Amino acid sequence: MKRLLASIVFMAVTPLATAATQLHLFNWNDYIAQDTVAAFEKSCNCQLVQDYYSSTEEMMAKLLAGASGYDVVVPTQNAVQALIKQKFLLSLDKNQLPNFKNSDPGFLNRSYDPANTYSVPYAFTTTLVGYNEQQLAKLGISPDDWSVIFDPKVLEKLKGKVTVMDDAEELFGAALKYLGYSVNDRDEKHLREAQQVIMAAKPYWAAFNSSSYIKELTVGNIWVAHGYSSDMVQARADADAADRDFNVNFVLPKQGAVLALDNMVIPKDAKNKKLAHQFINFMLDGKNAAALTNEIGAGNPNAAAAEFIDATIKQQKAIFPDAATLATLETIEASDAKQRRLLNKLWTEIKIK
Amino acid sequence: MQTKHWQQRLLTLPPMSYLLIFFAVPTVIMLFASFRYAGEYGGLAPWYSYEEGKLAFDLTLENWQRLFETDIYLRLFAKSIGYAVLTTLLCILLGYPLALMIARSPRKHRDLLLLLVILPFWSNFLVRIYAWMIIFSPSGALTHMINSLLDIFGLAPISLMYSPTAVIVCLVYVHLPFMVLPLYANLEKHDPALLDAAQDLGATRWRRFWKITWPISLPGVYAGSILVFIPVLGMFAIPDLLGGTDGIMIANVIKQQFVESRDWPFGSVLSMVLTVAAVLAVLLGAKFGQQAGQTR
Repeated sequence: MKRLLASIVFMAVTPLATAATQLHLFNWNDYIAQDTVAAFEKSCNCQLVQDYYSSTEEMMAKLLAGASGYDVVVPTQNAVQALIKQKFLLSLDKNQLPNFKNSDPGFLNRSYDPANTYSVPYAFTTTLVGYNEQQLAKLGISPDDWSVIFDPKVLEKLKGKVTVMDDAEELFGAALKYLGYSVNDRDEKHLREAQQVIMAAKPYWAAFNSSSYIKELTVGNIWVAHGYSSDMVQARADADAADRDFNVNFVLPKQGAVLALDNMVIPKDAKNKKLAHQFINFMLDGKNAAALTNEIGAGNPNAAAAEFIDATIKQQKAIFPDAATLATLETIEASDAKQRRLLNKLWTEIKIK
Repeated sequence: MQTKHWQQRLLTLPPMSYLLIFFAVPTVIMLFASFRYAGEYGGLAPWYSYEEGKLAFDLTLENWQRLFETDIYLRLFAKSIGYAVLTTLLCILLGYPLALMIARSPRKHRDLLLLLVILPFWSNFLVRIYAWMIIFSPSGALTHMINSLLDIFGLAPISLMYSPTAVIVCLVYVHLPFMVLPLYANLEKHDPALLDAAQDLGATRWRRFWKITWPISLPGVYAGSILVFIPVLGMFAIPDLLGGTDGIMIANVIKQQFVESRDWPFGSVLSMVLTVAAVLAVLLGAKFGQQAGQTR
């Protein structure tokens, strides 16, 4: 009996012992090129185990509820700020990151992590307007203005054909920009004004949708969607691949928009810290960083990647904003409990009426 | 006798402790959390602190006051209960004839028919909701068919996706088996001799149903209603995916508190109210079920 037990234990343990070393990555969905994954696994002789999330809130809720075992996480700047304050992150060893020098200085030393002690820029997206080119041309509506989402006069022609993000910070950010305020304005009076704008436009929207607008745009069910730039790149490619009789395109509204700078960080309780540094260094390599832009459509904070990026993508302001455009873009800052509570109350009021 | 009693206790120990650990303890934790402050970046703030060497408690009624500060949360509870009642009624309307048909069909067909009722469970719940999203979408077959019918009569096309109709249709679709199964279990046990006797005494088909079958089946109706009502009350995935701009139910707001706004205390308050509503529904259902069982 004892021998049987011993052999069962032995059988259970061996596969673990012989399996390749694993690196656990917690990343946004669709946010790393397949080739890059294969190349990294080959270079480190290990296995990259990926777990995905689709909103900052989801990721924060999971991490703060005690999810552990991740070696590298890719949070957006405001989440980095919150994770630093929670003392959740490991201070990075720059000696193990020789490729850190590749980072574009314009994206370093930002207020959320002043000396990049804990985080290294990975990629960025903007939150903008994706649209059906033919339908909007037919209606004579220009999508480069937030009025396409918020002005009832414009929306009359688009009733039931618009979706906005199911995300209070993003939608209030857009409404605040439309009103001429900062996306981080947490003055209750201004937030109430933004709420009024959202309420007035809501009857014309089909839904709050953060998860399937790529598909809805691609199929032609929706003509205007508020969403992430990398998703719109995907929608455009999908519509082209499916040979639709229309094109999907995207544009940054002229009032400005939300910029989300995603970063690589290592949790303090990471099991494989050395391999985690190795992964970050690998992703900072110009060629590997360029794949993020060429294949995923993400903006690139890596200076060494520039020479590997397709010329057609480089011309798109929504992905490669020029200095004037960059000045209109704002990152969302971490908000405290009281601010979140107010925003959630306004948000629930919107959702129920 | 003594040993039998002891054995019985031993047997019920695992399920009892399971319920205690995974239902009672979390409920108590949640009740406690509803009186605490939210942590700055999520989670909960410490509930006691030492100030100048003295122990101080940091507990508050504020979260409960917020529930009544505005009527939006209570209105949302009312709306969710309305959805749950409507779904339950529709499930009874659709499920009862089906369960009766299966119970009265030849014995050799019953297992197959029951299997067909359970069949949808073989694929994941979310996959089935996504299937409905395709059916309801403006380019989907169902919408096309309805709109071309409306067009014949000169009516304006309608949109099914992102509407309360879509939410209710899906809620009924998902929960129908939970109504059919307990109803079938009840109806199958009915003694056909009762119906024969009523017929011999001259009762019409309709009267036989209302005077005999329906009263005897009431415990099954109540059991099925509880199984449908409670999960619908706490549903958030269907309104999230199929609901329009005003499609949310109370569970969506609870999810928002825990995930987006990271406000565990207020989320706990709303959860407690939902738990109380569900327990009340079970007690009511059980009471009526028992009464109905006794009167026959």
